[in-house]
Amino acid sequence: MSVEISPMILSVFVPLFGAIAAFVLPRAAALIGFATLVLTSGAVAWLARDVLAAGAVGLPLGGWGAPLGIDLRADGLSVAMLALTSVVGFLVSIAALDSLKGPEQARQRQYFWPLWLLLLTGMNGVYLSTDIFNLYVMIEVIALAAVGLTVLSGSRAALQAGLDYMYASIFGALLFLMGVGFVYLQLGRLDFAGLTGAAPTGALIAALALIFVGLALKTALFPLHFWLPAAHANATAPASALLSGLVVKAALYVVLRLAQYMPFPSENLLTLVGLMGAGAVIWGGVQALRAERLKLLVAWSTVAQIGLIFVAFARAGEVGLSESWKAAALLILAHGIAKAAMFLAAGRIKDEIGHDVIRDLDRTPIRPTLAQFTFALAAISLIGLPPSLGFIGKWSLMEGAMAAGYWHWVGVTMAGTLLSVAYFSRVFAGFLRFDRVRAPVGEHQGWALADAAPLTLALMAIGLGLLAAPVLSFIEIGYPFGVAP
Amino acid sequence: MTDPLVIFDLLLALAIVALAAASLSVRDLFSMIVLFIIFGLLSALAWVRLSAPDVALAEAAIGTGVTGALLLKTLHHLRFASGTLGQKAAYGVTPVAPVPMAVIMTNAVFCGLITLGLVVAFLGAPAAGPGFDPLVAEAMPQSGVEHPVTGVLLNFRSYDTLMEVVVLLAAVVAVWQIERGLSEAPAPAMGEVWQGFARLALPAIVVVGTYLLWVGAEAPGGAFQGGAVLAAVGLLLLLTRAYVPQPAHRGIARGAFVLGTAAFALVALLVASGGRVAFEYPLDHAKTLILLIEGMVTISIAVTLAALFHGREPVALAKGDRNDT
Repeated sequence: MSVEISPMILSVFVPLFGAIAAFVLPRAAALIGFATLVLTSGAVAWLARDVLAAGAVGLPLGGWGAPLGIDLRADGLSVAMLALTSVVGFLVSIAALDSLKGPEQARQRQYFWPLWLLLLTGMNGVYLSTDIFNLYVMIEVIALAAVGLTVLSGSRAALQAGLDYMYASIFGALLFLMGVGFVYLQLGRLDFAGLTGAAPTGALIAALALIFVGLALKTALFPLHFWLPAAHANATAPASALLSGLVVKAALYVVLRLAQYMPFPSENLLTLVGLMGAGAVIWGGVQALRAERLKLLVAWSTVAQIGLIFVAFARAGEVGLSESWKAAALLILAHGIAKAAMFLAAGRIKDEIGHDVIRDLDRTPIRPTLAQFTFALAAISLIGLPPSLGFIGKWSLMEGAMAAGYWHWVGVTMAGTLLSVAYFSRVFAGFLRFDRVRAPVGEHQGWALADAAPLTLALMAIGLGLLAAPVLSFIEIGYPFGVAP
Repeated sequence: MTDPLVIFDLLLALAIVALAAASLSVRDLFSMIVLFIIFGLLSALAWVRLSAPDVALAEAAIGTGVTGALLLKTLHHLRFASGTLGQKAAYGVTPVAPVPMAVIMTNAVFCGLITLGLVVAFLGAPAAGPGFDPLVAEAMPQSGVEHPVTGVLLNFRSYDTLMEVVVLLAAVVAVWQIERGLSEAPAPAMGEVWQGFARLALPAIVVVGTYLLWVGAEAPGGAFQGGAVLAAVGLLLLLTRAYVPQPAHRGIARGAFVLGTAAFALVALLVASGGRVAFEYPLDHAKTLILLIEGMVTISIAVTLAALFHGREPVALAKGDRNDT
């Protein structure tokens, strides 16, 4: 009697068992965590191979089948998100091995791994789910693990930010749950298939509104972004990279999924979503210009970039929705990789020079040049210079907007790009020093093996732009949005 | 002639809304918590009237019992931190600054409008819409249990339930990792009456909790309700200091936290053989497996909730600190 295992089951259960083992055996937590990441990545690669060969794959858990039971389903978009999570997670884990190695971080090291693996369980669960109640439960797993990671550093600022984050996150989840209730009230089922083609009645519009506001809170869409900058800026570097690179993407992914399955009421609402995104692009940019600390600047840039993803989503109105998700998905992938690289690099810079005050970046005798180089590479992708993945995402955003004649979205994107050039230039100016302080020749360069992970991520953010065509055709596998059966 | 219970329902609904308003508006934190506990009890009663005894049990045990205990414990800690423990003034602790009336009014109007919109949407929805009921009724014979709620939670949609147990695990991991330098607030002195109460109550709680777990297969009850009731044992033990958590007990505690999740996930995986997929229990053994899972999950829930009440990892304090965790 052999146990038959599907790679989808493994993608959720391997991190779960890893988290249990890492929690029960705290001394071996790092080893267990790293092994779990390797195994999970293997499961995702296996799943990617299956999906490449056979298109979308599904699995009815318990053999009941939807709508009574819960089905798992993996298509191109799911696997792309799983792969993003695995790759970024793997490299952040390598960075965490280094940055949490000190004796004073014994406690952080012990708890980082179980929390991070629980987070991984929740995120992989979201990407494979086809049931809105199941999505709610997964979002809860993510929320608690993410709050735990936010307060990992134990500083007073981190605890305060973590508490705000928890309030926002739990409230968002409750709104989502209420929306799920309205869906059940109207349709009597909770699976995605049941949502397709439903008429937009009052209850479903209420459900859509509740779910959207709940998810907007979780993904920090302007003006519900209030919790994000402090939470992401005060966490330890690997936690920041995970929170900013991956966690907010889970809620974004759910928005992307549900928008295609739920009846979308009107063009005006989509414009409103775009306007909220535009508000985030401008406000996040302005706040990043004013930020005094490097990590806070990076966190505000996340607010702006999330807004941009929503602009991409609304770029061509209702008619273009069946294509716009691709631009949004590309931007999600690009931001996930580049932002993780940037937060890790910012953490490295902070570790090397002992602070992250932007104004004093050029006054230190130590130059962590490799980390600075990584930061600049990540910024290139976030600004959207060719050939980075960020460029491809922005280009496909503007292309769609221009084709639909929605020039205002092009304008917003341009303004956001200029703002991002401006705020990242503040950091570059500090890196370049302009010889305000003449340090002795042979100054300490501050290179370390710890730079390898962020550098790899940053190089991927640039290099994947060259592979945009295969990436695009991959995320279309299985017709994530029911263009064909 | 109307059903007399309609009058009862109306009074109950009015009382719930009034209690909610009162617990929000009262300034004294202790009264606020007490009002909230009464609110929870009446909500549990409302669930009974809505023919949802499972939810009522959960609301009473978790929403009211455990949450109330957690809130009171937090209040105790707040008072200790503000240095006013044991003084009369402590009962008026209000750490929040008063909010301007204009802000309250604006918020009230805004929330009122949203509620109105939701009410309209609710009334527009089909009153007795399609649901899982026919599907569940049809599949019940294959589920291995007789109570539909247990069938849904532990069989048809057991993946959701597993992840709910994971949520609880994530909560306790997150709480344990928060390092609290401050030593715990000393417990208020417990009189002899309290000790006597504990001696009488403990066996009864154990019986009730175990019964709730066991009966879950045929009638309302189950792991979450049973676990919450059993957690009360832990609470009483902690409060009477009959049990004092020690750093040396952390290993056992960690094992107890993960027991439910690990057993649940292992069963779900190991049944996937011979053409079955994960979570597909063979019918002959379904009831045994479900009871096994529920038993393990109950232990985990009880220990986890008690640990959440304790609120911290029992770490060895440095010399000189009062070691009273």
